[in-house]
Amino acid sequence: MWVIVEEVRKSFAILFAYPVEVVFWIFSPLLWVIPLVFQGKALIGAFSSTPFGALAGTDEFIPYVLIGAIISTYMFSAVWSMGNSFRDETYYGTLEHILSAPVRPVYILVGKGVYNSVLSTLFVIVQLLICVFIFGLEITLAKIFPIFLFLLLLIVGLYGIGFMAAAVTLLIKESHGIIHLFEYVLFLFSPIRYPVEVNPITKTISVFIPLTYALIALRGLLLNIDFNFWKNSVILLGIDCAIIPLGLFIFYKIEKRTKTRGTLADY
Amino acid sequence: MNTMREERQPTRLWRVKDRVFHYLRAINAENIKEWRIELKYKPDFIRQFFEPFVYLFPYFLYGFALLGGRYSEHLRSLTGISDMIAYTFIGYLFIGFLNTACWAMGFSLRKEQWFGTLETIFVAPVPRWVYVAGMALHSTCHQGLIMLIQAVVITTFFAIVLQTSGLFLSLVVVLLMLLGLYGLGIIVAGLTIALKQWWVVSEALATLIVVVTPIAYPLAVLPFVLRKVSMFLPTTYGIIGVRHFLLGEELVVGLPTIILRLSIILVVWLTFGMLVFLIMDRFGRKRGSLSIY
Repeated sequence: MWVIVEEVRKSFAILFAYPVEVVFWIFSPLLWVIPLVFQGKALIGAFSSTPFGALAGTDEFIPYVLIGAIISTYMFSAVWSMGNSFRDETYYGTLEHILSAPVRPVYILVGKGVYNSVLSTLFVIVQLLICVFIFGLEITLAKIFPIFLFLLLLIVGLYGIGFMAAAVTLLIKESHGIIHLFEYVLFLFSPIRYPVEVNPITKTISVFIPLTYALIALRGLLLNIDFNFWKNSVILLGIDCAIIPLGLFIFYKIEKRTKTRGTLADY
Repeated sequence: MNTMREERQPTRLWRVKDRVFHYLRAINAENIKEWRIELKYKPDFIRQFFEPFVYLFPYFLYGFALLGGRYSEHLRSLTGISDMIAYTFIGYLFIGFLNTACWAMGFSLRKEQWFGTLETIFVAPVPRWVYVAGMALHSTCHQGLIMLIQAVVITTFFAIVLQTSGLFLSLVVVLLMLLGLYGLGIIVAGLTIALKQWWVVSEALATLIVVVTPIAYPLAVLPFVLRKVSMFLPTTYGIIGVRHFLLGEELVVGLPTIILRLSIILVVWLTFGMLVFLIMDRFGRKRGSLSIY
């Protein structure tokens, strides 16, 4: 437990050495929405679209993409930050030190996962508050518990993917390509920016991504769109139960392999 | 006296010529070095050719979801073009050079720091800008190749018909835009020396430029303030110019004005970029923060 706490503390200490980064991560997901708002205005000439409503359940496309952008913070954090967490240690020259410490490396990995989850949740809370106070998004208190429930289910699933990404980095080293590939699949085939029903390929692949169910549920709760609460919860729970052991297993195997082959310190 | 001057003249010319060749060799060496490093990591190299599609398709799919099809009457009333795919594609294609400036050039110095070679290259017998110019050359070649593949695939897949008669003038506009963006790349590279966390600077600048540049929408939909800001960016003139020549978009400013403003912007941005870079370089050395992480 102390290892996890110390890992979280160390990661926050590094983050606060670069305060600009904190400001950036709070505002950037909101900035990414602006081109979509202007594109909508140019194509439709208004802020609501009937064809969009037929696919998404709401004609209002701005709140739809806004929520997608905010929740995608978790995706970037899980895939990008987790995937690069051990690569960063290589750059700092500290990877061998932390992996030869008398603790199981999986605790360090979980510590990095906890740090990224806490940080992303803080960012998401600030972004939601900005939406409530500036854009007039309404969140009733009764909805807060189910919102946190779905966020928790989402975080667990995404960090399973993050564990795999971290493991791949130990193996391939310059693994930007693989990490980006994870990111691309999530970005293209989940309903972050558009309803996946717009294309049969995106619709089919989105079924296998936890972010899809979380976004359906969270948009349903925040924008009062009809959705099946239990179905989405059970699917997310099922994905979580499968993906976390799988992520940890892959990490354990790859970490052992890199130590056996003596490639841990390779660039 | 005159004879002495005549004798010294060629020597001075030779020196200048030698120096220019020396710099050009260094620029090319940097370019070759970058290709070699990139080709060492093949999966990442291949991935870069797919990346533009991943960022372009969401614009298409979002447009399809909004319109329920490919064509927009409202877009036609604003620009003279109703094909949302062709309009967005041309806008997005050339904004790829923004990545060259912000990411490749800005990232260059930070990457050398990670490799532990920043101090080594900074003591090489060439001015610092030569190193950045080498990165610019490499990034332009690499990005140009990516864009060419992207253009062939998208125009074929979506059956986009371009006005080939406007190709030459489009390239002239792109060249001017590119030179202007190099100024931005040099600014980012300079700021990296002092701020270290280069990617925040790159990402913030790129995001702001993408918002105010008319990539997937015309200038007419931007609020007044953002429209004014976009007038200072080379990407605005570059993209509306290229779209005019290749798709026939109605221009909001005249063609001579576009060329003139692009020329002014490139001179201002390049000068300002070099200035920032030199100041930051001196600042980094004075503070002794060159090797600090």
